[in-house]
Amino acid sequence: MGRYILKRFGHGIIVIFGVTVFVFVITRMVGDPVKVMLPLEATIEQRAAFEKQLGLDRPIWVQFIDFMTDMAGLNFGNSLWQHRPAMTIVLEKLPLTLALAFLGIGLAFALSIPLGIIASLKPGGVSDRFTVFISLIGLSIPQFWLGLLLIVVFAVQLRWLPTSGVDSPAHIILPAITMALPALARLVMIVRSSMIDELNRQYVKTCTAKGLPFYRVVGVHALRNASLPVVTLCGWELIRAVAGYSVVVETVFAWPGLGLTAMQAIEREDLILLQAIVFTVALVVVVINIIMDFVYTLIDPRLKLA
Amino acid sequence: MNRMRRLLLTGLMLCLVGPVYAQAQEIVIALGSEPTTLDPQLREDGGERAVNDNIYETLMARKPDGTLLPGLAAAEPRLLDSSSWEVKLRPGITFQNGEPFNADAVVYSIKRIIDPQFNSEQMSFFNTIKDAQKVDDLTVKVFTDGPDPILLSRLYWMKIVPPSHSKDAKFAEKPVGTGPYRFVRWNRGQNIILEKNQAYWGDKPQIRKVTYRFVSDPGTRLAGLKAGEFDVITNLLPEFKDQVPKAIHVMGLEFPIIILHADAGPTKDVRVRQALNYAVDKKALAEGLFEGFAQISPGQLLSPSFFGFNKDVQAYPYNPEKAGALLKEAGAAGVTVEVIGTAGRWLKDREMVEAVAAFWDKVGIKSKVRIFEFNEYLNRLFDRKTRADAIFVVSSNELMDADKSFSAYYKAGGIGSSNTDKELASLIDAARTETDPGKRSALYHQAVKRAHEQAYFVWLLNIEDVYGVSKHVEWAARVDAKMLVGEMTVNK
Repeated sequence: MGRYILKRFGHGIIVIFGVTVFVFVITRMVGDPVKVMLPLEATIEQRAAFEKQLGLDRPIWVQFIDFMTDMAGLNFGNSLWQHRPAMTIVLEKLPLTLALAFLGIGLAFALSIPLGIIASLKPGGVSDRFTVFISLIGLSIPQFWLGLLLIVVFAVQLRWLPTSGVDSPAHIILPAITMALPALARLVMIVRSSMIDELNRQYVKTCTAKGLPFYRVVGVHALRNASLPVVTLCGWELIRAVAGYSVVVETVFAWPGLGLTAMQAIEREDLILLQAIVFTVALVVVVINIIMDFVYTLIDPRLKLA
Repeated sequence: MNRMRRLLLTGLMLCLVGPVYAQAQEIVIALGSEPTTLDPQLREDGGERAVNDNIYETLMARKPDGTLLPGLAAAEPRLLDSSSWEVKLRPGITFQNGEPFNADAVVYSIKRIIDPQFNSEQMSFFNTIKDAQKVDDLTVKVFTDGPDPILLSRLYWMKIVPPSHSKDAKFAEKPVGTGPYRFVRWNRGQNIILEKNQAYWGDKPQIRKVTYRFVSDPGTRLAGLKAGEFDVITNLLPEFKDQVPKAIHVMGLEFPIIILHADAGPTKDVRVRQALNYAVDKKALAEGLFEGFAQISPGQLLSPSFFGFNKDVQAYPYNPEKAGALLKEAGAAGVTVEVIGTAGRWLKDREMVEAVAAFWDKVGIKSKVRIFEFNEYLNRLFDRKTRADAIFVVSSNELMDADKSFSAYYKAGGIGSSNTDKELASLIDAARTETDPGKRSALYHQAVKRAHEQAYFVWLLNIEDVYGVSKHVEWAARVDAKMLVGEMTVNK
């Protein structure tokens, strides 16, 4: 167990290291914050002075060694744009993104189980077709548009909920739903198909024949066996929510989390902040993966952490 | 994707109009970005300015139409000799924390911002100021590096900070000025709250409390205004104009132009450059792309409220026949002109380049549009060795004086200049040190006229600033883009 965690973390560190180095190289290849951050009319002398001030006039390998030593101490330096330690900014924003991702994907997970089961009980039936149809819509709607649609209906028209921001708990509802719907659509499909597989197996017939109540057959035996792919997808959705969807959803709802900050850091060529964000997101992904491995062993005791 | 999103949103919202809730003398302003600091002297940051313009004041101020007038100064500063000025200060003013506003505060503020150690991003506004000295409690001498005719505009940009509080480590989070509003709270990521300064020396503002919110997406800002959550939103997209309770627009500080290469290639011939100007229907650009929220550029990189504006110079009229004739005369019919642009940096940047290219094609040019990612685009804009035939750029100018944009684009060797006109350069150099406003303005008039005759640019539009405002807020927006809450009122 302990050895397993160490091993996974070892792999994780290699992944994080690789991703961060990649970002270091890429951002320095394609971007030049000096050009982008100063006003267009700034003179050549002003540009040179600014480059020196940022330390970007040093040879790239010197910058890289500096970067590696700093990263070892989790110190990414000051954001070029906000002039505060990049890690401080990231730690300020991370909880907001995690809250949104966990709430959204949690919601999707919780709803996908009953909906998927209902659809799987009579494949091809009315409730199945309906669920599949709704799922397809959920999969096809662009997320930014879904967000704006929800704002127009529930905030502008009905005025039940606020349009954007983080002032109260009510502010998380619309972004969480926007986060949840596409994930819900995918999860429902997976719950449905793996439940159909399980319900066609021999042991289900055996259980039913032995007189076990229907809800126990479906809800306990079949569901447990069907849940492995669901959990896998759920972990994957969580990762996508933190590392991908957050950018869209947070921008639409002015939710000041990591996704919105990443967008702004890219616009302003804030290499330092970008590195800190990528590092943190990579770390979150690694941790979620390790947690998922544990969840597998809980569901299926045959799987061992080795 | 952006455009599709706006279209979808527009379509959706066209049919939805809701009532607006009025709140007594409290308003919410939605800005596009959160300030990175509230130290008014440190950064070049639009969000910071929007907030601090209400907390801090400057020695010189401007009327809403752009005219300079004394602010914290008691009268317009007096020129003592070619490089020193005497500034008399208004008596009896205190900072919101009780510190007195006096010569010490002014000298301290000037020295603070020009200190190289302080490393202010606003330094390009103040690089001619060398020193400041207290004469008596209400008189300060300011020294410049040689004659500096723009000093008054510079003083309009420099916010005066309280000497002892600004040494506080938390100063950047707790601003204290002399202005009509005082700082209450900054919830990072969420909002900034200001309240009326009861002890303000000038006209008392009507609005009691202001909350700033930060919403980067224009569609979300619009939704917030329509839902009654915001009272004023910045940078309203022109296509949303019919959906807001009120759209306020005023001449802005942004000028899209196309820089033509005057020394080589097809644009070397002045007749070709003129033809490229005649070929473009600027009115169609203003109406088609900006819904009328833009004026035709009067053939110069300035708007009427700017120092140096030449009212005798006018836009090249839309005359495709003349353009075609000029091209034939120059033997340039069917010639290829490469035009460089970028996408997503400025409002409608790509659309403008594409529309201009289409106008050029109509008069017999083969235009080759090349849209680059911003960094790559800048490489080409700043490339001093090989200039592209035509480069689209949006020049902005906050000091409202010709010097900045002319030095960058008009003057030979400027960072974005594509001509080597020595005469034009010498006019701009002469104006830079001419302290007599009449003579200086005459120099710029000549420069404007010369560049216009030579058609070194295709001048397109002067873009307006557009704000969305709720029904119960009254406000006449300003040409300097400052959002002074003291000038807004709420009616119920």
